Amino acid sequence: MNKRSIINNAKRWAVPISFLFLFFLAARFTGCDLAAFWKRRSHLTDLVADMIPPDFSYIRKILLPLFYTIQMSVTGTVLGAFFAIAAAPFAAANLKFPAALRRILRILIQVLRSFPALILALTATFLFGLGTFAGTFAITLYTFAIMTKLTYEDISAADPKPYLALCSMGVSRFQAYVHAVIPDIAPGFLTNALYLLEANVRHSSILGYVGAGGIGLLLNEKISWLEFDKVGMILLMLFLTVCAIEYFSRYLASLVRGERRIKKEHARLLVLFLAAVFVICTVTLSPPDFSRTSPQTLRNMLDGFLHPDWSFFFSTGKDGLFYLLLETVCIAFIGTVIGAVLSIPLAFLNTRRFVPAPVCFLFNLLIMGIRSVPFLVYGLIFIRVSGPGAFTGVLTLAVCSIGLLTKRFTESLDALDMRPYHALLAMGVRPLPAICHSVLPQLKPVFTSIVLYRFDVNIREASVLGLVGAGGIGAPLIFSMNQYAWSKAGAILLGLILLVWLIDLLSSKIGEQN
Amino acid sequence: MNLQIQHVKKEFNHTMALADVTFAVSQGEFVSVIGPSGAGKTTLFRILNGMLPCTSGQILLDGIPFQSLHGRQKRRLQTSIATIYQDFCLVENSTCLENVLTASLPDLGFFSGVLGLYGKNREAEALQLLDRVGLLDKAEEPVKNLSGGQKQRAAIARALMRHPGILLADEPVASLDPVTGRQILELLRSIHETEGVTILMNSHNLEFSREFSQRLIGLKNGKVVFDGKATELTEEITEKIYTNPENTVRKNEV
Repeated sequence: MNKRSIINNAKRWAVPISFLFLFFLAARFTGCDLAAFWKRRSHLTDLVADMIPPDFSYIRKILLPLFYTIQMSVTGTVLGAFFAIAAAPFAAANLKFPAALRRILRILIQVLRSFPALILALTATFLFGLGTFAGTFAITLYTFAIMTKLTYEDISAADPKPYLALCSMGVSRFQAYVHAVIPDIAPGFLTNALYLLEANVRHSSILGYVGAGGIGLLLNEKISWLEFDKVGMILLMLFLTVCAIEYFSRYLASLVRGERRIKKEHARLLVLFLAAVFVICTVTLSPPDFSRTSPQTLRNMLDGFLHPDWSFFFSTGKDGLFYLLLETVCIAFIGTVIGAVLSIPLAFLNTRRFVPAPVCFLFNLLIMGIRSVPFLVYGLIFIRVSGPGAFTGVLTLAVCSIGLLTKRFTESLDALDMRPYHALLAMGVRPLPAICHSVLPQLKPVFTSIVLYRFDVNIREASVLGLVGAGGIGAPLIFSMNQYAWSKAGAILLGLILLVWLIDLLSSKIGEQN
Repeated sequence: MNLQIQHVKKEFNHTMALADVTFAVSQGEFVSVIGPSGAGKTTLFRILNGMLPCTSGQILLDGIPFQSLHGRQKRRLQTSIATIYQDFCLVENSTCLENVLTASLPDLGFFSGVLGLYGKNREAEALQLLDRVGLLDKAEEPVKNLSGGQKQRAAIARALMRHPGILLADEPVASLDPVTGRQILELLRSIHETEGVTILMNSHNLEFSREFSQRLIGLKNGKVVFDGKATELTEEITEKIYTNPENTVRKNEV
């Protein structure tokens, strides 16, 4: 073997080997123990058996909270998306708005994006009292942060020439943005918004845990009272809701992308219907309850956030910030990797391009089922199998990741160029090796960016897992907020902001290499 | 490898793509199929490499009926047919070497195929073939960074890796500029001369077909309307092949 090939081999294996090393290190750190899980699997199957059949008579009690949940997500998504499209041009680099404004806005977005919806909701309950208003506020902020980032990235990638042409004719910059840039980015923007709407249904279904309204309160109550037939009913209703939203948003997305055309009158009716849904959801929102908000609490809160508990921030012990954040990252990392590995075969079974339609439909339902269960419910279920601790968090995130990852993987498979694959088949290569050598290499960059995106989401989800005792930074964060220990909460939030920022830098570095 | 096409017919949802195609190509020939767009050339090639079933008729490869085979037996026969395409059909993110090596997948066991364990000998052979087509310095380059002509060279190397009995070239130069196209055809000709492989090419560039192939087959409306040496193709026949029948009818009516 000559020197050059040794170096080439070393280069080829360096990344996978260090990745595996990190993976096993993190797995040890989070106490992953698949053997123990397998031994105690009966707890899981018993639990699922208890949910079947669901208690159908319970449906009357579910409908109202379910409506609140949908209401929070619809109003929150629409308002958040609206604010996002108004704010995004100021954060984009190529539209020549003041640079100072851009920097401030980007920092604000980055900070907001670091917090999970649940933490935003918990903070909102201190401002607006318990109820759906706090939940809606949290969902709005959450949607605003994510949509603004996605939109300004889209704007930066769009061609600014038509915009500059309008500006040169004396049109004001914002007007030029509305008429020259929005038409370009609208399809992508609406697709993202529909995506978030569905994700927000799941997010808002757990906001009840912190008293921000919706179905989460019932869910928590029934799980802790071990009334699993009722839990089953709630999950069934959530599944149906997610299915309905999924199919409706697929229909809307095909309209937006121009793949399907409808008559003018029908389009008008559709817009009217959507507007009516939004108005109904918004008008029936419970007004904020300021009775328990005092200027003193607000002042304490602000004071605590501005003066974080530095001794906790810098402590290196087992209950220090660094250890907890590391645990959170490890949970998210292992969860994402396991989820990604499981999602790849599922994605191939989920597209009509590789399997017959009935198989595809079956897997479609299965994946939608996996996706419709809120992640804290998985946490509460897995904790009965693997006990409290980080391992439960890992299992929870792995299963949750499957839902989104499979969906995105399938989409990229559907958009794939199939000609190289057919060329290999024509040479007599068997289907599976042909997939490995013609489909997978093409998908690598897309899959990497999808997995990185999910990792980013999982960091935030992992930081609330503590709520159900599944490890990470969540437990101390929510404890300190509920005990009004604002300076400690401030330190944790600051840590989260720095962590998400760091991960962002890291993933854009990895993204550049592909 | 010789090829016999007997009364091949192909319908897509009641539209006739190939009406009745019969011709034979013997071992070591370089034959071009010519004809206007929509004459069914590409359809014929897709039937020949087994990616499309035909409605009726028979294809014999060295006397073996190809259409009646399925599964493993069909794949075994497919391994001796190599195809190069107008749009190359290479895996853009993989390197040239990896693309060439994919052609040896049918010879590998299942797991070594999935993992891509080709072995030293095959790698050496692939490098040799890349050298043959003049791409040795691009072996480690991802295909997406190559020019059109270089991509077609890589595709030819991939086809040669199969040691094909017959090489199907489906519009090999249609997406290349004339100079590059000529170079590719010269490469095909030299391969034809040195390896003695049977080549069936399909092209709507009449000049190239005339210059490089020994025999021409004119296809029109899914039927063979000419079969002979390049020198036998007169102006008159060319015009007959390439004029639209509907236009001619209308001319007659006027």
